Amino acid sequence: MASDSRRRAAVVLVAAAAVLAPLVIIVYQSFLDGPFFQPSSKLSLSAYRFVLADSDFRRAFATTAIIAAGMTLIAVPLGAVLAFVVVRTDLPGRRWLEPALLVPIFLSPVVIAFGYVVAIGPVGFLTLPVRRLIGRDPWNLYSLASVTAIAGLTHIPHVYLYASSTLRSIGADLEEAARVAGAGAGRIALTISLPLIAPALVYSGVLVFFLGFELFGLPLILGDPEGLLVLSTYLYKLTNRLGVPSYQLMAVVAVVIMLIAFPLVALQRRLLGVANRYVSVRGKASRSSPLRIGAWRWGALALVVAWLAATVVTPLAGVALRSVVTTWGEGVRLAEVLTLDHFAELLDYPNLVRGIGNTVLIGVAGGALSVACYAAIALATHRWNSPWARAMDYLAMVPRGMPGLVAGLAFFWVFLFVKPIAPLRATPVSLWLAYTVVWLAYGMRLISSALLQIAPELEEAAYSVGATRGRVTREITLPLVRFGLLGSWLLVFLIFVREYSTGVYLLAPGSEVIGSLIVSLWGTGAVDTVSALALVNVVLVGVGLAVALRLGVRVHE
Amino acid sequence: MRQLLRLALFACLVCIGPTRGAAAADDDSPATAKEVISAAEQEGKITVYSTTDSALVQPLLKDFAALHPKIPVEYTDMNSTELYNRVISEAGAGAVAADVLWSSAMDLQVRLANDGYAATYASPELSHLPKWASWRNEAFATTFEPIVFVYNKRLVKAEEAPQSHADLRKALETNPDRWKGKITSYDPERSGIGFLLITQDSKFDPEFAQTERAYGKASVKLYTSVGAMLERIGSGEHLLGFNIFGSYALARQKKDPSLAIVYPKDYTLVMSRIALVPKAAKHQNGAKVFLDYLLSKRGQRLMAKGMLFSIRDDVEGEATAAALTKQLGGTLKPLPVGPALLDSLDQTKRLEFLKHWQQALGTK
Repeated sequence: MASDSRRRAAVVLVAAAAVLAPLVIIVYQSFLDGPFFQPSSKLSLSAYRFVLADSDFRRAFATTAIIAAGMTLIAVPLGAVLAFVVVRTDLPGRRWLEPALLVPIFLSPVVIAFGYVVAIGPVGFLTLPVRRLIGRDPWNLYSLASVTAIAGLTHIPHVYLYASSTLRSIGADLEEAARVAGAGAGRIALTISLPLIAPALVYSGVLVFFLGFELFGLPLILGDPEGLLVLSTYLYKLTNRLGVPSYQLMAVVAVVIMLIAFPLVALQRRLLGVANRYVSVRGKASRSSPLRIGAWRWGALALVVAWLAATVVTPLAGVALRSVVTTWGEGVRLAEVLTLDHFAELLDYPNLVRGIGNTVLIGVAGGALSVACYAAIALATHRWNSPWARAMDYLAMVPRGMPGLVAGLAFFWVFLFVKPIAPLRATPVSLWLAYTVVWLAYGMRLISSALLQIAPELEEAAYSVGATRGRVTREITLPLVRFGLLGSWLLVFLIFVREYSTGVYLLAPGSEVIGSLIVSLWGTGAVDTVSALALVNVVLVGVGLAVALRLGVRVHE
Repeated sequence: MRQLLRLALFACLVCIGPTRGAAAADDDSPATAKEVISAAEQEGKITVYSTTDSALVQPLLKDFAALHPKIPVEYTDMNSTELYNRVISEAGAGAVAADVLWSSAMDLQVRLANDGYAATYASPELSHLPKWASWRNEAFATTFEPIVFVYNKRLVKAEEAPQSHADLRKALETNPDRWKGKITSYDPERSGIGFLLITQDSKFDPEFAQTERAYGKASVKLYTSVGAMLERIGSGEHLLGFNIFGSYALARQKKDPSLAIVYPKDYTLVMSRIALVPKAAKHQNGAKVFLDYLLSKRGQRLMAKGMLFSIRDDVEGEATAAALTKQLGGTLKPLPVGPALLDSLDQTKRLEFLKHWQQALGTK
């Protein structure tokens, strides 16, 4: 058992090094008065003084907190109900609905926001007719309330993924018992299913809240016109405040965001309490028929479809429309400006074509590799009552608190200044490592949520007949969490394909990815190409998703 | 019909591009010294960090490859802040990967030269460039890009469109309802370029304080990217944008016929993409060859074709310094490459200007 502990500790140490290297650089940088690599920089608290005294910082902080809280309040309840309805009831068409439910995750927020501008912006194609009808502006897309609502609605799938994968992994025998005793679907959901998946809901709630603090694409585009400032766009502003990039100020903001993260992790652990309370995969589990909810199913379907129309169809229609016209908006007859040129142009630029290929590669192969790493870490700390395991739990949340752009810059420094790994800087390995660390919390939570559901007696039974730990992992634990692993791969694939801010500093010729290309093209005004590229992205991932789901279904049967 | 024409034009461009370059090779090719070229060919591949969209420079890179097949170019485009960050980080780690830095953030480029990051090179092409286009033979202006107004001609009649900064101010003052929330520009607080441009306005506009207040009253909508601005002017969400790069506006106008461009009559700012060679660059000779090419007649002609506005006096066409000078003459206000640009990076002055700006606009 001693060598086993050493192995576990080694896994934790490697993970810790990957997580802590950028963290250490950022914290150190925040206490300097210049870039850490310049000899003239001295230890100082001036960066903290500057940021904390800045009224823009306070404003950005308050706005961010409102948006994060608001979107969590929207996403968690709706995501939980959605998971219950899709996984447990006889909702019509849930098979084909399911891939659609995940679409908002893999749309880059920049794309979504841009699509909304085209669709329901001040001169959007949906806004104009409504305005003609009622004679005034029907809504303001750029307000705090709109941004919060859009952020909340587009993060429902994050909650849904955690909740549904957990719901699937627990047996329905308790629900079955309630049904036999005469409970209705609503009561079963509220008193049995949702409490059973409370750990997954808490985790996903905390993550959504973090994502709120890191929100970048939506406020970047929707917050622009009204000057709505959140922490990540404040980071942008800081870069420019003093003319030259002020790393120390950016580092301070990153530290502040991380300081918010730690108490939340502690809170999360307390809420979880004794993990055993949630064990529900017993030695005997049976699959059962879905709950019948009668006429309610159509009401539920209508709600799901309305949500999809608002969060997927509307922005996608905007992007799709934009990709086939030369111009749009007030006073334009769309029939006169139709064109397919933008797509033809994509093929003219080798970097765009390469970007598409690289994106798929990092999503599929990189994603699989990352899931393998996450699983290794999760298994190393699984049922290990040791300070190492608790430390890992906190460590996993750390990168989540770093805004992608800052994390990317920190990794750029790591690969620049840590000489042994310096040759890897210009290869996709650096990009992959940065992605893997930034999304560590995500992947690991999904896997460990699933691990928590497995009753110890299954593993103990194997131990008692003399199986080694390795064998138990291979033959008991892993097969039981295969849905968690598959779901995780899917999630990680989607996230990697969509990711845009982390890679900015690590990009080199030959390793372009769609997300970063979209951001850079948006800056230079090539919106035609951006919209075409965005649509290609959506189609590509849609295909990938369909394939993954098919495979998943086969494994399932 | 228009489609056909465009297609024909495109076909022409494709045909002319390489062949014409090759035919004219003798006169127009860069005057780089032979020994520099052969040394460069020994050194091999060079790396260029640039803020210019790779799509825009594709013809340029292809032509360079035809001219110097033994000097392959690895071209990376990024935004100006990233470029600066990368360079000083790489220099800090003693691992400079870039051989040429080519950026539209004039102030940051001059700052790099001023801080001793740039190598010295007396390019043989300098004689065809204006005096102000180089500084200490370290930083070189490569383009001559006018800063313009862009408006939506579906929604704004030509006679209504302001023709100068003074016009714009008057329009905002006399007809505030028409323009409220409909004017757009760079946000000087969030965009380095935006800051540089608005500080130039404060120098050349005699009524700048009043202009600022007019912007504030009209609730000017401020963005960080030119793409966002042009898109929203095209859609009619905004009607007019000021301080917009003529190069992007022209390129966009070719695709979106609803955009119209005004060169402000009272003064037209001229910005430039500055090129420099890092002192620590590993391929010094290759970098010189590329720099000479950027400044040469051959390279500049292709830039003009790509709407990047040639800075040389001997290149003709719509997007050239020659054409602009003919049209606008003394109202052109190019920003000289030199230490004056460092003013905008002075922290105290910068914060002060921004504070003033916020007060004038009423955003604070």
